Amino acid sequence: MAPIKTQASLSNSDNGFASRPLHPLVDLQFDRKWFQELQERLTRNGPWDDWTLYRLSMEAEQAKRIESFEQLQCLRTLPSFEPMPHQISTAKKVVHEMGGRAILADEVGLGKTIEAGLVLKEYMVRGLVKRVLILVPASLVLQWVRELNQKFGISAVAQKKSHSWQYDVVVASIDTAKRPPHHELVAGSDYDMIIIDEAHKLKNKKTTNYQFVSQLRKKYCLLLTATPIQNDLDELFNLITLLKPGQLGPQSEFAANFVVDKRLPKNEDQLQEALSAIMIRNRRTEGDIRFTKRIVKNIPLSLSPEEKALYDAVTGFVKERYDESGGDLTSMLSLVTLQREVCSSRDAVFLTLVNLFKKTAEDSPMRPKIWGLVENIKNIKQNTKAEKAMELVKAIGEKVIIFTEYRATQEYLLQFFREQNMIAVPYRGGMNRGKKDWMMDLFRGRAQVLIATEAGGEGINLQFCHHMINFDLPWNPMRVEQRIGRVHRLGQTEDVKIFNLCTLGTIEEHIVSLLHEKINLFELVIGQLDHILERYEKNDSSIEQKLARMLLESSNDNELEQQFNQLGSSINRIRNELGTLEASP
Amino acid sequence: MNEKQVHKFVGRYLEATSCNIIEKSPAHYMVKLSPHADRELTNRPYYWSFVDRMGAEPETMTFLFVTDKEKYDETLKQEQAAPAAPKPSAEDAAVNTVLNRSFGFIQSSLAVPARVPREDLYFGSRKLDQLFEAASMHGSYVYLFEEPDKAAGGPFQSTPYTAWLGVNMRVEFASDRKREEIHSFGVSLATGNCVEQFHDRLLAKRLTPRLPANIHIAKNGVSFNKALSIVEQTLEKKIKAYDYSWAADAATRLEEELQRISSYYTPLLEHAADEAKSAIEEQFQQRQAEISWQYEPRVRASAINCGIFHLKGID
Repeated sequence: MAPIKTQASLSNSDNGFASRPLHPLVDLQFDRKWFQELQERLTRNGPWDDWTLYRLSMEAEQAKRIESFEQLQCLRTLPSFEPMPHQISTAKKVVHEMGGRAILADEVGLGKTIEAGLVLKEYMVRGLVKRVLILVPASLVLQWVRELNQKFGISAVAQKKSHSWQYDVVVASIDTAKRPPHHELVAGSDYDMIIIDEAHKLKNKKTTNYQFVSQLRKKYCLLLTATPIQNDLDELFNLITLLKPGQLGPQSEFAANFVVDKRLPKNEDQLQEALSAIMIRNRRTEGDIRFTKRIVKNIPLSLSPEEKALYDAVTGFVKERYDESGGDLTSMLSLVTLQREVCSSRDAVFLTLVNLFKKTAEDSPMRPKIWGLVENIKNIKQNTKAEKAMELVKAIGEKVIIFTEYRATQEYLLQFFREQNMIAVPYRGGMNRGKKDWMMDLFRGRAQVLIATEAGGEGINLQFCHHMINFDLPWNPMRVEQRIGRVHRLGQTEDVKIFNLCTLGTIEEHIVSLLHEKINLFELVIGQLDHILERYEKNDSSIEQKLARMLLESSNDNELEQQFNQLGSSINRIRNELGTLEASP
Repeated sequence: MNEKQVHKFVGRYLEATSCNIIEKSPAHYMVKLSPHADRELTNRPYYWSFVDRMGAEPETMTFLFVTDKEKYDETLKQEQAAPAAPKPSAEDAAVNTVLNRSFGFIQSSLAVPARVPREDLYFGSRKLDQLFEAASMHGSYVYLFEEPDKAAGGPFQSTPYTAWLGVNMRVEFASDRKREEIHSFGVSLATGNCVEQFHDRLLAKRLTPRLPANIHIAKNGVSFNKALSIVEQTLEKKIKAYDYSWAADAATRLEEELQRISSYYTPLLEHAADEAKSAIEEQFQQRQAEISWQYEPRVRASAINCGIFHLKGID
């Protein structure tokens, strides 16, 4: 359906088209191919089709007919799934008021994918869209393909080889699409519709991604992002230029009209108006979108004397190495891991120690020290946390997800639960799709416990479960949020109960207090966290690195405590800044 | 299309393509497809090219077409709950354990007796779309006669018939949005008389592909080309009278969009370095082309299907 070709064929009646003026603005175009074919069959005396099929064909057309310009026609073709009211109204607005070009900027978790799917389906049902390109981060390709196929009955295909581009609806990662040999194929096509997920990654005009996207030829276009105005207004301007160049005026005027400082808009009402013609942002706090509560409980645990001895020994070992290295942080990160693992299970720490032992030179003075730690491990007979977790699971009596950072801990827990006759199934990133789905089914069916090492990525939506135990906590707050997001999402009908197992007198105690009490992570509005972290990490190293440094550098617990307080308050400061920026537009 | 209509549609398609319906209820069909339907519906071109080349006896597929999911699942549940349900034989049980081992748990009800692929057919489902397509693929061009009344006339009396050109047309009114109308015309090739809602008129008759005995067909007074232009003129006259404010709106939007784009690119071009100009110019033109493609109002008429119909009487 290349626009130019159609135009050219208008006046040309030889190839089966004829055109007559109908109205000053519109011509009536007759497709006469049927007539030629009919005449041919008459001269050849057939073949002739069946009268019943003739009638059925007409009935099918009557059923498919698009009666009016208005209404969402796609809804009647989706009997097995019911979009939320805000998703329907968004799709309507995009189709009927925005001409199919929009930024969908709902807060995280409100179903931007669903909205995009509705818009796409609507145009497909109306026969206005056939060729579609969907660009998403590589990790989301399969998820998109599945959602479109299962929820919307759209035959989307994941791009794998260069011949994949010939399919009508292709989902691909932007990093693949922009590289040869794909680049030419994609840039040379006319797409009826382009959808770009995580579009905030296109904010910088100079990147190859941005330039690639602006080369693409498209009719309708949706940009999906949860964080449209996080850092500065120029970035928003660039995003809008992809969709509707000039919507905010030329670049120079935009700066003069709307920008005070790059983060502070002026003439907000005007800006709002210009934005509302192109961007839809549904918020969690609005009307019909209701999330259940999160109830967070920290479970403080005292380590057994043996466990405590191991923890202290490992801590001493790590400090010693750090001092020896003269403050070189990069090589230390793996050692800090030891300290975190020791809070999780002896199995986790054992595995790392063995690997470390293997890597160390045979005559190194390190070797006996490592061996000494392993001796410590041997003394440990029980796992305080595992016992507590078991107790919790029994007390809850419903489905529970237990998250841990470590494979070894996962294995240990599986075995521990099995010994106690509790059915638990594993879930981890390395499993293939089929196995993941199978584990999900088992958990939905007969297992009471799911033990997962991975929360991010695609496809684990566990609305049927509302209890979660953090056996240990990741240091990256975003990963904590991802964990919670598996259960606390649209469709969850119960309040979500989160238990944090926290061993007293360890680094874990500090982390839990930072995440829970100081930055109040667990009660943050979903979607707020990624803004905060992005802003934080813009000025500083990643939080994980920052934590590692604090841990290694502080000489005693008091100093560490102070450092944590500082980190907590600088995050809170960013949060407040963002809060004012968010609330204003 | 509601469930009932879908059910009826599917039934008629299966019958028209001589499929073997093994079992049916108001909510489903269990059907062994005919070779014709199998070619259309099962997406196995390689299999069929193998059969055609080897001249082998084709083995067609059996499907469970569920036309009313809710009702069907309800009945299924009741049957399962009923104690009279046949117990799986020892062999089935063994099969299940094996499947169990390799796939995890599977619902035994689906595994017994044989695995028949299930397709839920509802308006908008892909399989039903495929059925729609198959119907239109082989329901596009017909050549038919009205069946004469049995009682009418003696063996020596000949009934006069008229040949009609009949066509069902889809008219699309589109800009960035779209609506459609369906018109059905018949033009008498004897007189040039044009009738609307011709399809409805046909539905009231019994039609057959065989030439009936004792009829004679009036001489054509109108050429095919003439008949075509009569159809087109009738349609044109009819839709010319419509309200075209939608097109005016679309044209206004198009104009606005073009201006907006120009407001962005014109200053950009002015200030651009010479070597960058051609790239910007190219992008500018591309954006303009996109917008015209998207918004330009257009009306397009194409045929759904058509045929020559020989009907009783001369008019």
